Amino acid sequence: MRDEPDHDLELTSPLVPLFVITNGRSLPPEHVYERTTLVSAHEGASAAARTLSPEARLVLDLVMDGFLSVAEVAAHTHLPLGIVRILLAELEESGLVITRKPVPRAERADRELLNAVLDGLKARFGA
Amino acid sequence: MNQDALVWCLVAAVAVSVAAALVLNRRNKAIAAKKSQVEATMTQKLSETEGQLATVWAELQQHKAQHAETIREAEEAAEESTKAVLKGSARFLQSLAAEQLALLEEIQRKYGGHAVLGDLLEVNHANAQMARKAQGIAVMCGAPLGRRSKAASVYDVVRSAQGQIRNFRRVEIMQQTGFALKASAVSPVALAVAELLDNAASFSQQGSPIEVTFQRVQKNLCIVIDDAGVGMGDEDRQKASALLSGDHRSRLSQLGNQPKFGFPVIGLLAQQYGFRVDVTGISRYGGVRAVVLLPEELWTEEETAPAEAPQLSSIHGTPARPESAARTAHGLPRRGARQVPIASVPDRDDTAAPPVAAPEEAGRAAGRSLGAFQRGTLSGRNLAPAPFEGSDDA
Repeated sequence: MRDEPDHDLELTSPLVPLFVITNGRSLPPEHVYERTTLVSAHEGASAAARTLSPEARLVLDLVMDGFLSVAEVAAHTHLPLGIVRILLAELEESGLVITRKPVPRAERADRELLNAVLDGLKARFGA
Repeated sequence: MNQDALVWCLVAAVAVSVAAALVLNRRNKAIAAKKSQVEATMTQKLSETEGQLATVWAELQQHKAQHAETIREAEEAAEESTKAVLKGSARFLQSLAAEQLALLEEIQRKYGGHAVLGDLLEVNHANAQMARKAQGIAVMCGAPLGRRSKAASVYDVVRSAQGQIRNFRRVEIMQQTGFALKASAVSPVALAVAELLDNAASFSQQGSPIEVTFQRVQKNLCIVIDDAGVGMGDEDRQKASALLSGDHRSRLSQLGNQPKFGFPVIGLLAQQYGFRVDVTGISRYGGVRAVVLLPEELWTEEETAPAEAPQLSSIHGTPARPESAARTAHGLPRRGARQVPIASVPDRDDTAAPPVAAPEEAGRAAGRSLGAFQRGTLSGRNLAPAPFEGSDDA
């Protein structure tokens, strides 16, 4: 073992691990911040930005001028979606951002009901 | 007649006594001579014996010295061979931990949108602590530290250190500075600060804060760590100072059953990389104030890009969005046609190249139509009136 050359070990992992960026906060449930949930900065949020971590400030900067979807925020910051969700939860808790839920997907039509309507129409107007 | 006889008698007596005196005198002389002779022999013998004693004593001393030397050599050899064995293992652990950290980062990005991310973050935390221990053992054995190839802000270096201790949430970094550590100093300073933070966390109450501040004092940059612990006694303080200066090298075999690597590791690092660490101060909470003093060779005043988002410069580098000339009644910017497509995620590879015109045009059009679509959807669905963007589309 002594003969092992003292080659240098290069550390490739990012210097600041993700759990430090989120300060150990737990992941909010997925439905709170869906990919298409829109986020915008609250009024006067820029004043509070100085005390934020650089990453949270970055997210806030991105949504300062209008609404941006959660997925877009993640893409811009190159942070994993979950990390962005945690940062958004932190920001929303301190009242710095507001969110708008995405438009819910149209409910699946009731096939039986439609069939009944079709039958009714057929009976009425003939087919 | 009678008188004659008396005289003769007297004469005879005198003669006899003279003879006796002579004889006695002679004997005395003989005895004296013999005595001095015996004395001389004795003295000679004594000095001989003394000489022998001295030789034996010298030999004894020599043996003793040799013995001590042999013991020392044996101890050193044992230390060296222990170190060699440990060094190999530590290097193995070190590189494995580093590999795992890189792997975990990849996995975290891969499953970034998944609920498993929460658990992955915890695994990452445990692994970061293991990596610190492995590095500490490696330093004690004289193995090189893993190195970083990029300079980093001192703020990020402390955050990196923060991630390497158990109760990292207690650490509060009070400032964000633009000072950057040179690449070669990043790993050692991070490890030293991690050991100091760990020490601060272990010797203060659960839940009490550990505050980190930065100060520039003349040509040195200081990382100041304040804890709210019980502080140290004079003896502990002296011992700590000796260890931290790197002058007193503790042996692996002296570290005991529950080895305290912290200060010896910091001392070795400080000596090797040319910074100083002092723990004799008293924090504002009455605990220990630890100061890492970085000489100007180790840092620059240049701003470095945040470690996590080096690509962002390209976003901010693009022409600014329409300046908030138009605002809604509530002070939020009006959502006009964007000059720059907000959804244009720059390619990871071309950070430097400015965006080409054609895709930008296309993106702009796409952005506009998407925006219109969004507005249409919102008004069409007649959602509850948005509280902060009221008169936008009116």
